[in-house]
Amino acid sequence: MEPLVLSKREKRKLAGEYPDLCLTCGTCAGGCPVTGVDGMDMRKAVRMSLLGLDQELIDSRFPWICTICGRCEHGCPMNIDLNKMMRSARAHRERDKVPGVLHKGVVQCLESGNNVGIPKEDYLFLLEDLGVELAEELPGFEVPVDKKGAKILVTINSKEPFAEPEDMFFWWKIFYAARESWTTTSENWEGVNWGLFTGDDESMKEVVRRIVENYKKLECEYLLLPE
Amino acid sequence: MKEYIETGRIKIDKSKHPELTTYHDPCNYARKSERTFGHGYYEEPRWIVQQCVDNYVDMYPNRANNYCCGAGGGAWAAPYAEERIYYGRVKAKQIKDTGAELLVAPCHNCRDQIMKSLRKEFDMMYLEVKYLWELVADSLVIEGVDDKEE
Repeated sequence: MEPLVLSKREKRKLAGEYPDLCLTCGTCAGGCPVTGVDGMDMRKAVRMSLLGLDQELIDSRFPWICTICGRCEHGCPMNIDLNKMMRSARAHRERDKVPGVLHKGVVQCLESGNNVGIPKEDYLFLLEDLGVELAEELPGFEVPVDKKGAKILVTINSKEPFAEPEDMFFWWKIFYAARESWTTTSENWEGVNWGLFTGDDESMKEVVRRIVENYKKLECEYLLLPE
Repeated sequence: MKEYIETGRIKIDKSKHPELTTYHDPCNYARKSERTFGHGYYEEPRWIVQQCVDNYVDMYPNRANNYCCGAGGGAWAAPYAEERIYYGRVKAKQIKDTGAELLVAPCHNCRDQIMKSLRKEFDMMYLEVKYLWELVADSLVIEGVDDKEE
C-alpha cells in the first residue's frame, strides 16, 4: 500500500460542504424508509463521503434509490446539506449510466422541447381537440396558445398530453371559472425538468431558459409550473 | 388559486366531497421550498383543501416531518420499482392510519406513486386520490353553467 501524501491527495468529489460536521448520531438513517436497502443508509453515505469513498458512493445504487426528499437533512442536528451531496453523487454518474429513462428524457427535451418527444403539430391538434370537447361543457372555452399579454403562462407536464390528456381539464376549468387570462405555448411547454433529478445543471438551466424566453416574449406576469 | 377563492373569483361547493380527506405534503412544496426559498407551503394547500371539504384529518407526522411518497427525485421514472414500493410502505401506513377515503396530493409524482402504485400494493383500492387542482375543479360552481343545470 502506498503512503498517502496529504498535500497531494485527491480532493473530495462530492458537493455538500459539511460532512465533516457529522456527529454520527444516525438521525438521518433512523428516519429514512430506505435505510438498509443494499446495506446502505444516509449515515453510511456521509461517512463514505468523508472517508474519501466518493467514487464507491457514486457507483452505488443508493443515490438513486434515495428520493432526495430531504427528511434526513431536516432532522440533521448539524444541518448538513445531505440533499446537495446526493444530487452531486448523481451528477458524477456517467450520463449513459444514469438509470432508467431520466437522462433520455433530458436529451429528448433539449432536442424536441418536451421529455417524450411529442411533435408540435400533434400537440396543437390535441389541444384544439380537447378545447372543443371541454367547450361542450363550458360554452366558449378554447385553449389559448402563444397569446401575447396573457397574465399567466402555463407549462404542461408532458405525461398529460402523452397519456392522461383529460387531466389538463382541471386547471382549464378553474381558469374558465375565474375568467383568468392565461396561455400555453406551442414550443418548449414542458414543465418537468428531469435535469433536477439527474444532477444535470447545464441541461436544467437550458430548459428553464427556454421557458423564461417564452415568458418574456409573451409578456406574461405569472408562470405556472405543474410539478 | 388561494386568491381565487379568497376574493370570490371562483365558488366552491363543499357538499361534493363529504368523505374524510387527508393531505400529502410533497417534499418540493414543503421542506425543500422552506430550505431553498425560506417559505414552506404547508398551510396554503391545507387551507384550500378545507375550503373544499369539511371533513379533514392530517397524517402523522406531517408538514416538515412528513414521509416521502417514495417516488420522489425521479424514482418514479427509475428502474427500481421494488425499492420504490418498499419505500412507500411507510407512506401507505400513514395514510391508512388516518382512516381517510380521499387523499389530496399537489404533486404529479406523489399522486402517481400513491394512486397507481401504493393503492394496489398495500390494499388501499378504496382510497380516492386527487390533485389539489382536481379537488378544486371538481368542487367548482361555475356561473352560467351550473345555474342552468339547477
